[in-house]
Amino acid sequence: MDELELLKKHWQAKMPEEKQLKSQDLYPMLLKKSSSIVKTLFYISIAELVFWIAITFLPKLSSAYNAQVENSTINPILLTSLTVLSFAVIILFIYLLYKAYKSISVTDNAKKLMESIINTRKVIKYYVGYNLIMAFISMLLGSYYATKTDPKFGELMTKLDTGGKIGVAVAVLVLTLVFVGIIWLFYKLLYGILMKRLNRNYKELKKLDV
Amino acid sequence: MNKQLEHSFVELLETHQNIVHKVCRLYTNNYDAHNDLFQEITIQLWKAYPKFRGDAKFSTWMYRVGLNTAITLYRKSKRTINTTEFDTVQFKIKADEYDDTEEQQLKLLYSAVHELNDIEKALVFLYLEDKNYKEISETMGISEVNARVKMNRVKTKLRTILNP
Repeated sequence: MDELELLKKHWQAKMPEEKQLKSQDLYPMLLKKSSSIVKTLFYISIAELVFWIAITFLPKLSSAYNAQVENSTINPILLTSLTVLSFAVIILFIYLLYKAYKSISVTDNAKKLMESIINTRKVIKYYVGYNLIMAFISMLLGSYYATKTDPKFGELMTKLDTGGKIGVAVAVLVLTLVFVGIIWLFYKLLYGILMKRLNRNYKELKKLDV
Repeated sequence: MNKQLEHSFVELLETHQNIVHKVCRLYTNNYDAHNDLFQEITIQLWKAYPKFRGDAKFSTWMYRVGLNTAITLYRKSKRTINTTEFDTVQFKIKADEYDDTEEQQLKLLYSAVHELNDIEKALVFLYLEDKNYKEISETMGISEVNARVKMNRVKTKLRTILNP
């Protein structure tokens, strides 16, 4: 006899009943909070938004920062455009995230559900990627403008020969890369752990449909 | 209205709770994990219930939500198989109901099923619940032919686990 048939026979007829829950046991369950991967992704994406919005806009609240920007040689039109762009990108990502979350439905088939979650995670990934690129550019630009506006830094640069200047530039570049790299690794690890099981199951399902 | 919805949901869940228990039995291997997954599936069912139209059977709808929760949404997967625990919790056959060989074989079969991966377990579960390949393919989101092919592979895999 086919092994599974034997199992099926037993599964349907002889499996011991679990301890049956009464309605009074079930009502409190409806009030409990879900700990699903979607909930976790949702909290992470909110944290991402808050974190990067804070990084972008908090410095503007400090008068020292504003004074420094005013004294700098940065083109004000460029600065305004960057601020507008930052706002636009945040709004765009909030919209994309909202749409992605709305598309997740537990009543879809398994493959579709996994795809919706992976898609949501992608939106967050792009948002993080965008912020890391912006952080990278800002740090390089910031260092460049600092050499022009900070008198101490400017003085130091005039003392250096070409080799020294290149050395400073390389050091700034490497430091920036290391900083961005650490954040990137952190995300890799965070999402790697969170999505491990889902990715494995999705791969398995995809394999079936080749 | 909300109370009424809650009441009808709990009534249906109480009647069909064995479906959820069976999913938990397949994907967990101890009492706490079983209860934890049961809780999560209940939350997911309840969240999705307002959209339940009644054009599908409640039980069919439960299979989908239950499996989706177990293989996709649930995060706390207990991967290690504790055979002793598994035997006592999952396998409570009265000694006089089976002869020794069949009992032994069933025991082995249940632990073999536990060794399958999440997707294979889902296929086996639907198969054991007597779902046809059309339903299996619709629940999993794969083609009917591929569901059939995979099921045959799972059967072979089980046979290999049983007769190494």
